[in-house]
This record gives sequence, C-alpha cells and structure tokens, in this order.
Amino acid sequence: MTAPQKPGSVVQGTLDMLILKTLALQPMHGYGVGLRIEQISKGVFQVNAGSLFPALRRLERQGWIHGEWRATQNNRRAKYYMLTDTGRKQLKSEAREWQAQSAAIARILEATSGEV
Amino acid sequence: MRIFKIIGGGLRALFGKQRVEQELDEELRCYMETAVEQKVRDGAAREEAARETRIEMGSMETLKEQVRDVGWETHIESFLQDLRYGLRMLRKNPSFTIVAVLALALGIGANTAMFSVIEAVLLRPLPYRHAGEIVRVSSTWDRNGTLTSYTSSPPDFFDWRDQSRSFSSMFAYRMGEFTLTLLGEARRVNAVMATSGMFSTLQAEPMLGREFAAEENRKGANHVVILSHRLWQSAFAGAPDAIGKTIQLESEPYAIIGVMPADFRFPLSASDAYVPIGFDDKVMTQRGAHYLAVLGRLKSGVTPAQANDDLSAIMAQLRKLYPDKDSKWGVRAQLWSAALVRDIRPALLMLLGAVGLVALIACANISNLLLARATVRHRELAMRRALGAGRSRLVRQMLTEGLLLALLAGAASLLLAYWALVAIVRFGPADIPRLASVGLNGPVLAFAMSVSIACALLFALIPALRSSARDVSGLLRTSVSPSREAGRLRGALLIGEVALSMMLLAGAGLLVRSFVGLSSLSPGFDPKDVLTMSVAVPDAHYKNSAALQSYWEQALTQLRALPGVASVAAVTPLPLSGDDFSSSFRVEGRSVPEKDEPSAELRFATPDYFQTLAIPLRQGRTFTEADRLGAARVLLISETAAHMFFPQGDAIGQKIKFGARGGYEQNEGEIVGIVADVRHFGVDAPIPPMFYVPLAQSGMDGATVVIRTRGVPAALTQPARKIVQALDRDALVSEPVPMETLVSASLGQRRFYMMLLGGFATLALVLAAVGLYGVISYSVAQRTQEVGIRVALGASRSEVVAMVMRQGLRLAAAGLAIGLVLALLLKSVLKGLLVGVSATDPATLALTALVLFLIAVLASYVPARRAARVDPMVALRFD
Repeated sequence: MTAPQKPGSVVQGTLDMLILKTLALQPMHGYGVGLRIEQISKGVFQVNAGSLFPALRRLERQGWIHGEWRATQNNRRAKYYMLTDTGRKQLKSEAREWQAQSAAIARILEATSGEV
Repeated sequence: MRIFKIIGGGLRALFGKQRVEQELDEELRCYMETAVEQKVRDGAAREEAARETRIEMGSMETLKEQVRDVGWETHIESFLQDLRYGLRMLRKNPSFTIVAVLALALGIGANTAMFSVIEAVLLRPLPYRHAGEIVRVSSTWDRNGTLTSYTSSPPDFFDWRDQSRSFSSMFAYRMGEFTLTLLGEARRVNAVMATSGMFSTLQAEPMLGREFAAEENRKGANHVVILSHRLWQSAFAGAPDAIGKTIQLESEPYAIIGVMPADFRFPLSASDAYVPIGFDDKVMTQRGAHYLAVLGRLKSGVTPAQANDDLSAIMAQLRKLYPDKDSKWGVRAQLWSAALVRDIRPALLMLLGAVGLVALIACANISNLLLARATVRHRELAMRRALGAGRSRLVRQMLTEGLLLALLAGAASLLLAYWALVAIVRFGPADIPRLASVGLNGPVLAFAMSVSIACALLFALIPALRSSARDVSGLLRTSVSPSREAGRLRGALLIGEVALSMMLLAGAGLLVRSFVGLSSLSPGFDPKDVLTMSVAVPDAHYKNSAALQSYWEQALTQLRALPGVASVAAVTPLPLSGDDFSSSFRVEGRSVPEKDEPSAELRFATPDYFQTLAIPLRQGRTFTEADRLGAARVLLISETAAHMFFPQGDAIGQKIKFGARGGYEQNEGEIVGIVADVRHFGVDAPIPPMFYVPLAQSGMDGATVVIRTRGVPAALTQPARKIVQALDRDALVSEPVPMETLVSASLGQRRFYMMLLGGFATLALVLAAVGLYGVISYSVAQRTQEVGIRVALGASRSEVVAMVMRQGLRLAAAGLAIGLVLALLLKSVLKGLLVGVSATDPATLALTALVLFLIAVLASYVPARRAARVDPMVALRFD
C-alpha cells in the first residue's frame, strides 16, 4: 500500500529552472508563476510564497529575469517577470544539464542485477 | 558582466532602499489578493479564503526578510545594524562592558606578549639568505648514553668538510676578544675568527672590499681583517679609503680588506671584526682540541637528517683511524635555527600552552556573563523573533556583539602586551637568543587579531545558540525565570575555569618550589659583597712570566690597600662566568692508556682566592705566596675530584701530569690540599671535578680579580678600575660585576619561566575569582524572591549565607577535583624544568588547592552576605 502522493516541494535546486521555463512561455506575475508550476505539474509541485519570492529576487539579481509593473486583467497593478536573453541561455543550459542527469538517474534506477 | 548586475542590484537596493521595499510590499499584497480571489473563485467564502492565504504565506515579515536575504547588501546592512546595535548595548551596560573588555584584554594581551616572544625566538628566520639550509655541526660526547654537544677540533672539521657530500660549503669559527689600538687608543673588540668558507656558507658578502681568501686560513698569512659596519663607522667615520689601511690587533698589524653591510650580524649578535682563524701545521695533529663551532650550508634537496648520516659515517671512519683521540666522539648535524633553541623551545611552548589556557578562562568568563545577560535579554530576543528575525539572524547579531567586544579588548590588549614586552626585554635572561628583539610586528598583530576573533567565536557562540534556540511563544509568556539548563551550563563553564586555574597555579607553584630550592643551594662559595672584574694585559708588554707575575702582584697589593676592601684575589676562569677550562691528566704511577685518561676542570688562582670567596679547605693546605714560579709545582683538588679519582682518600701527595690529550699541556704538580666543591656551571648544573693551579705558576696573562668588600661592592667599581688601568695603559678591564649578579643570572632562564608562568597563573586565578563572584552574585539576584520567602518563614541570616555559599563551594570543589587530575598531566610538560621537586609534589598540589578554595570562599561569601541582608518585604514585592 502506498501513501497518497502529497503535493511536495520542488526538488532542491530545480525551482530556479522551473521558474525560468514558466516565464519562457510568457511574462507572468508572482502568483501566476506559482499557479502555473502547480498546474503543469498536475499538483505534484506546490510553490509557496516563502520560496517563490526569494527565488524571483535571486533570478532578477542574476539578470536572468526582468520585472515590470503592468496592469492585470482585473485592473490591478502587478509586477510581471519576463525572461532576458541571458536567462534564456541559462534555461537552455540548465535544462540540458537536468535532462542528462535525470536520464542517468533513470538508467541507474532501472538497472537489473545482470548489469551491475 | 553578471557581477556588475549583482553589484548594481545590491547598490540600488542599498541606496534606493525605500523604493525597493515599497515594491516588495506591493508585490506581496498583489500576490495575496490574487490568491484570495482565486480561492473565492474556487468557491470559498471570502473570509475563509483570506485566512487560508495568510496561513499559507506565513509571517509577512519573515517572508520579506527571506527575500531581502537574497542580496549581498542585506548582509552588510544587517552587519552595520548589528554593529550599531551592539555598540548601543555596550554603552548601555558600562559595567558589563568594562569587566568583559578588561578580562578579555588581559587574556589576549598575555597571549600576544607570549606569542611575540615565540615569534622572535623560535619562528623568525635567522637573518641570512635561505637560512633554512644552514646546519650546525657539533661533536658529541657519549656520557652513559646521553649525548652532549661540544665544539669540534680542527682536524675533525677539515675531514668533515672535505669528505662529506651533503654540504655546498662549511666553515668553522671561534669567538675572540682583541685589543684594537688605533691612534694610540686601545679598545676591546669582539672578533669572529673564522675559516674562509664563512661568507659562502652565510651567503653574505662584504659591502666594501673582499672576503677571506683560502690561503689566508694559514697562520702568518692571516693578518687581514674585515670590519663590521659599526666599527667602520666609529673608527673610520665610514670613509671608503679605510680599505687597505692597517690596524693593530693585539699589537700586531692587520690589513683591512673589507667592510660588512650594516645589517650583517654574526653569530646572531653583532661582532666588531672578522679575521681568518690562522691555522699552522701543528693544528692538524690536535684532534683532541675541541674549540671550533662549525656551520655548514646544505646542498639543495639534502635534509639535515641525511647530512647527519653522511657525517656520522665519516666519523665512524675517523674513530677507526684515530682510536686514541676520536674514540668516544660522535657528530651531530641539526638545523642551526633548531640547535639554537633546543633547550629553550619546550619551555616556551609550555608557556604558550599555559597562556592559551588563560585565554580560555577569560572566554569562559565572558561566556558566563553573556549567558547571564541573555536571560535578562530573552524577552527582547523573543520579541525580535516574533517580529520576523530568523534564528541565524539572531545568532549573527549576537556574534557581532561578541566580535565588537573582542576587538575592543584586542585593541586594549596591545597596550598591555607592549608593557609586558618592555618588561621582558628589560628583565629577560640574556641567554635566550634574540629575546631582546621582541616587538609588536606584523605577525604578532595578526596573531592578536586572530586570537581576538577566535575568542569572540568561543565566548559568543554558546550564548548565541542557546538564547536563540528557545520556543518563541513560551518565551514571551514566561516572566524572567532562569532556566535550569542555563544554570547548569554556567556552572559547567565555571567548573572548567576553576579546573584550568588549578592546573596553571599548580604548575606555577611547582616552578616556584623548584626555583626556591635551587636559589637556596649554595654555589659553593659566598657571593655576598664580592666584586669581580676581568683583566687582560697584552702579552707583548711582558717579556716573561716573571714580569707578568709582578704586574699581578702590584695590582692585587694596590687593590688590597683601597679602603673598604677586605681581601683581594685573582682567578681564571671565574665560576658562573660561562668560561671554562678543562684538561685531561694522568696520575703518576698509574698506567692508563692515553685514550682512557680522565679529564677535569682546571682553575688558576692566587692564594687568597679561597679565603676571598670563602671556599672552605677540607684537608691539607691552600696555596701560599711561596708557591710561585720556580718553586715546586703544587695543586689543590676539589672534594668531588678527590672522591672520583682517589676513592681511597690518598689524594694528597699524588703527582699529576696534565694534557696528554690536549688541554693544559705539559704541566704538572703535586696535590697539597682538598677544598670544597664549587658549582662552576651554575647551581642547577652538575658539580664538575676540579683542580686548582697557582696563578703565579701558570703564566696566564688574563684573570678575573675578585674583591671582597666591607660594605657596598658597587662603591669600589671606579677606584678598582683606575688602579688596574694605571699599571698598564693597554690593560683590558671589564665593567666590574657583583658576584651576586652572576649567581642570580645563572638562574635567569628558570626565573624567567617561573615569572611568566606565575604571572599567567595569577591572571587565571583573578579571572576565575571574578567568574565565581559573577555567577554567585547573579544567582543570588535571581533567587531574591526565594531568599525573601525563606527569611520570611524564619530562616536565619547564617542559614541564608550557608545556602548561597554551598552553591559556590560545590562548583569550586568540582573544579578543584578536575583541576587536580589535570595537574597530574603536568608531569610530562614540566619535565626538565623541575629540579628537586616532583611534578606530583603533594604539598604543592595541596597548597594550590587550598589557595584556590580560600579564594572561592571569599568570592562566594561577598554575594552570600548580600543575599542575607535581603529585606523579605522588598524581596516578596519584587517582580
């Protein structure tokens, strides 16, 4: 019997990449980023404000994203974040890295005793 | 260019702080509102949605703090904030600040002073290029398995130099004193007499002129001299044309061939002149004549151990080749820097360890003070946490406060260290090399800084972690109540303090006992009211021994006539002067192979010597005026020599012949008396067997005049000097020194170590006493209410006093017990420093424990009395 899957926090170190990916689709404000990650991951990842905002600040400082105040659909002013060029490059390299790693991990987990 | 963005972002945040903060506020508000709306859209009631969102987001302040923490600028900002806050806290509690800074400054200052001694004596490289390649080579003599280092003989030196493959160069030298006559004025100069390899080994060159040539090593060709910069300045006013001029050394002409640079010092202290040593052919046969110090420079890549093996192999060959002269001699090569401090190093390291413990005690003290204060400050800390300060933020703030304290103390400690160094230079013993060059230089300042920071971490970390660890809501609710855990921690720190103090005090006590024991040992003569003054007359002035003898007779007679003089004599070498003279000898009628001849110390003395220094005669007679040149040659021997060489008690009447194996060659005499032993090498050194020869029968041109005065010896210094100099204008007369000064100087190192360890132990004692007082006072203040209730319920004053004191004394007793165990560990550390007292001497340990216990009684009695005076009404109203 397995316990029901609880919505977990993001794998250590991957939040930045997920945010970059989310923003690569379209500029978004903070709440939108969190919501979108939750939706796309089908509720597996929940991003709380305590991780989200420091991450946004960190990425902004690195120069990978850029914030701009705009009006929302509900006519509220919100800070929309968008990817910069360096951010796009960063996303690419992080994604590549991640794919290589996860493929490797998958191979290890699927190894049968004959291969080891 | 990311780095610029990061820096730029930080700078914007620092200077446009308000705007950045506003944006963050707005952004979070927007987030919250959007989240609430979303929940409402999903069907929640608006109030319920808002509550859920707030729970999800957690504390707004904490969240903002986390975002701010992303940038580097917040660290600087919070550091500055902490610094300002810390300064305010220190200013607000001046008594705490003063006590803490003072205690720490004492601890750090003692460490800084001790380290600067270590730096100057042990760590600072010797003042030569690649000094790590210079090796001291010494002959060793195996005495029942323990190797003693000695100087070496010329043939051994040449064999080592020519046969070894480990050295790029090697040279031998000895020190000499010369009379330099320039323009009719005589002065005494210290000269190094060296072989030609000196300059290549030390990698130093003359700044003017040239170095010695190899052929100038030979006697007759060696009348050239290289001047020190100082002598060149004082004798020739730094004129470059001094090169080629001639000066008179011992009335013989020497041509000046060079001048050394101003910063050249050899050996370690400055000498005035360097002359080639001048060997003749005969010297190669004197394999038993050990008088040369040897230094070599290792080839690159060769270790001292390899050089040692190399030389030992050569020495093994020499022992086979010359079984009669080299039979018992070995050789040892070790780094010069290490050889210089072989005996001093362990003692200095022991002292560094001791002073480190003092710093630990000081830290424990401050830690205790901070812990006590933290209990008072716990509400403030709880409030700050509730308002959003993270735990690490609070720890950082408390560490900053600690750092501030430590740096203040560090600055104050430099002043203390400076004073300590002035005292060390002034009163330190002369035989610790380079001790006089201690100073607060770069490495020492860096050390002081590191110790301060290390102390801050040590004493601030425990209170910081402790006071930030507690549950916030609990803290806010409770009133000021010391937790039991904090009390235990403070108790443990205090026990540690007492234990370390006990250990230090015991160590100091042992050194004091050993020293007192040594000081009360008689050197074998009575040094009180005796003045000594060494006199050397130039050989050339006296055609023969008779002329020389008449000089001495006149001088002694005139000195005897001075008012206030009780008796006058001359001797060489003087006890405790550091000089010695030994010779092998044979007893007539005993057939012993030459190589097995025993050797003994030789002293040359006038008849009144034994009376002047009050050395008792045990048997036979002492010298008389009749024992002069031409009369039968006579000898006296010391008791130890008599026991050693004539165990049957038949010493008197035996005939002795000296010097078959080098030493006092071709002299002889009949033993006419036995005198008491003299501890020539110091009261803490073994008593050597000794022979005395009448000065009049020796033909010695120099000796030390010893004058027993009736009153203050110092009053006679000038008149005595004048008499000796009036008889021979070129006589070299040293500054007269009271014999008692020599006696006390012979224990100089021991006194130095004892004073330092004693000083450190006293510091430890004071710190521990202050610590105990602080802890008990604090706990009394905490227990005011309890005491009030007890008094109200009928407890008597003495019961209250006893209750409080019990607490203090229980801690002290625990500390003493642990300290006693630690003190037993001193054994290995103090080995070699203790004479005549065991490292586990029960009397010393008991006395130390008693002293500490009495201090503890006093330190807890004062607060206990204060507790007993508590007015129950006031106490019950309290808080």
